[in-house]
Amino acid sequence: MTRHLKYRLASACALIALLAAGPLRAETTLSFLIDNGPDTLVAAEALVEAYAAKHPDITIEIDQRPGGGEGDNTIKTRLATGEMADIFLYNAGSLFQVLKPEQTLHDIAGLPALANIAETFKSVSSAGGKAYGVPFGTSMVGGIFYNKKIYRDLGLSVPKTWAEFMANNEKIKAAGKVALVQTYRDSWTSQILVLSDYYNLQASVPDFATQYTANKAKYATTPAALKSFERLKDVHDAGILNEDFGAASYDDGLYVLANGDAAHYPMLSLAIGALQQNHPESLADIGFFAQPSDDASVNGLTVWMPPALYIPASSQHVDDAKGFLDFVGSVEGCKVLMGVNTVQGPSLIKGCDLPADVPPAVTDMLPYFKDGRTAPALEYLSPIKGPNLQQITVEVGSGMRLPADAAAMYDDDVRKQAQQLGIPNW
Amino acid sequence: MKQSRSLASGIVALIVATVIFILPFLFIALQAVKSKSEASRLNFALPKEWLFWENLVAVVEARNYQLLLAYFNSTVITVFSVSILVILSAMVGYVMQRRQSRWNGVAQVALLMGLMMPPAVVPTIGLLQSIGLFKTMTGMILIQVAYNISFSTLLYRSFIATIPRDLDEAARIDGAKPWQIFFRVILPLLKPVTVTNVVVQSIFVFNDFTNPLYYLPGRENITVQLTLYNFQSTYTSQYNLLFMNILLVTIPPLIVFIFFNRQIVTGMTAGAVKG
Repeated sequence: MTRHLKYRLASACALIALLAAGPLRAETTLSFLIDNGPDTLVAAEALVEAYAAKHPDITIEIDQRPGGGEGDNTIKTRLATGEMADIFLYNAGSLFQVLKPEQTLHDIAGLPALANIAETFKSVSSAGGKAYGVPFGTSMVGGIFYNKKIYRDLGLSVPKTWAEFMANNEKIKAAGKVALVQTYRDSWTSQILVLSDYYNLQASVPDFATQYTANKAKYATTPAALKSFERLKDVHDAGILNEDFGAASYDDGLYVLANGDAAHYPMLSLAIGALQQNHPESLADIGFFAQPSDDASVNGLTVWMPPALYIPASSQHVDDAKGFLDFVGSVEGCKVLMGVNTVQGPSLIKGCDLPADVPPAVTDMLPYFKDGRTAPALEYLSPIKGPNLQQITVEVGSGMRLPADAAAMYDDDVRKQAQQLGIPNW
Repeated sequence: MKQSRSLASGIVALIVATVIFILPFLFIALQAVKSKSEASRLNFALPKEWLFWENLVAVVEARNYQLLLAYFNSTVITVFSVSILVILSAMVGYVMQRRQSRWNGVAQVALLMGLMMPPAVVPTIGLLQSIGLFKTMTGMILIQVAYNISFSTLLYRSFIATIPRDLDEAARIDGAKPWQIFFRVILPLLKPVTVTNVVVQSIFVFNDFTNPLYYLPGRENITVQLTLYNFQSTYTSQYNLLFMNILLVTIPPLIVFIFFNRQIVTGMTAGAVKG
């Protein structure tokens, strides 16, 4: 009796599977692998739709992969086995270099859109002098989000130096608010104070990136670099952090910032997307400033590049895939993207201006870009980024490890990564 | 005196069970009915608005009704791989327990290797590609069978040890062929451990996350656990939809467990007593 039932179920399943396989299509179908951020999906769908309207003979199917370490593994596995989608989305900069682009990717030299893409972006998505990717999204910056309402109520002004910043923090603390939020449950958030200090580091040691890649400059022995780690210790020792900094999550951090319980949150500007989703009413009160240095004349933003779209060497439809990349890299594609996504910073495509209604936090960033007070983050200037930085910064930020010790530990982490990548001089 | 003590320990056990089993489930259910911004707080507060239906619809409709396809895929993988697992491992367990030969040692080592050695992803994909099974349901089913057969076989083998050999001999004297002995005499007696195997393995296969992630890429090949990634990402997560999805995905294994609870426990102990 039950066995009969099993057979019937099995044959029904097989039949449905056959039907689901569907008829063959005449036109080209491209597969398109993106990460699983909700913004990414919305943007990709809008781009695919706009492209389909212009090229009805090409169907693009979107597929999602996890982000973070699991996503890195997925990308590497699929590239190694030649099963990568025709177009895929992945970070630019050091993570892109790890993919060994010259072997695994198809270069896009000669693509018309390349002429309009900012040099800064091309430099981080090229290998061996050939371009491989077009930007997907706007640039992103690292710095400090602040609650404008608290600043107004306490009569504070945006700090230009670290001393002013700490003085502001003391006043906010005296007013009974949390001065600075740190959220070490999501350990990646602990790196921000170190990483967005890179503008200041570059200002005092202009050739740090090349020296660092050549194994000549070290975090532990370069005072300006060591300072980045000391910032973390400073904010911990001053007692201005939220009490639950070790257990709070990224979402908790955004929540206390948005509802006015906390004044500062060092974060990448991608947080604007999450704020828009979870606390849209608060966006008008959230501002942004660059991480201050000791010198008021050195005050600028560290810029992160958006991820890029690449074509793997294994793709069977290189020309069609290039067509889509060209569209994404064009002003038209950029407008489509800005139409659906929260803008996190200026665009990297010439002629693609920001819409008028950007959140105040983005408006706050524009002067820095206008005056040229920006520097790319170190991970875009050097192929080496130690994988354990976030664990080390959690230790420093929780007062468990001294900055000098942490910097030496990170240097060792960097050494291992450089040796793995086979960079000369290590 | 004695009664009151057992009452007290009963209450303590109930409280512990509530904290361990009911509270997390309640937490999931609560987040699943909240709005995005309330759910992002991840606390036990009651929602201002109960959005059960809206969230349910949003989850089911997401990515062009991907969840329904995922249910279908997961069900097919689970049903087929567990059926193959049960039949194969019962046979292997029977032969290994009853017939002593020089191959027994080899089979024993192979079983233990299957349990102890972690499978390598890239070579396995290479193998699947070379026989044309990569990115197919058949390939995924075979992988689940291969990864889980050691555990099932061990359960069967130890259970078969408790069935007296006299039964085999009696059947043989009555003229049964070897396959008849197995299918007509032994297999019906294996029911308790078969139920255990079916339940444990189907929950495992249904809930498997990493194997489909690596071995079954592609939009049309999605399984239920992978749909969770539709709502969770590194920088922005839609917790209300994520938890609604978790709730929906948890239901099938939960039903299996509720119905077969008793058999699982008897089967487990039956297999565990004798080595």
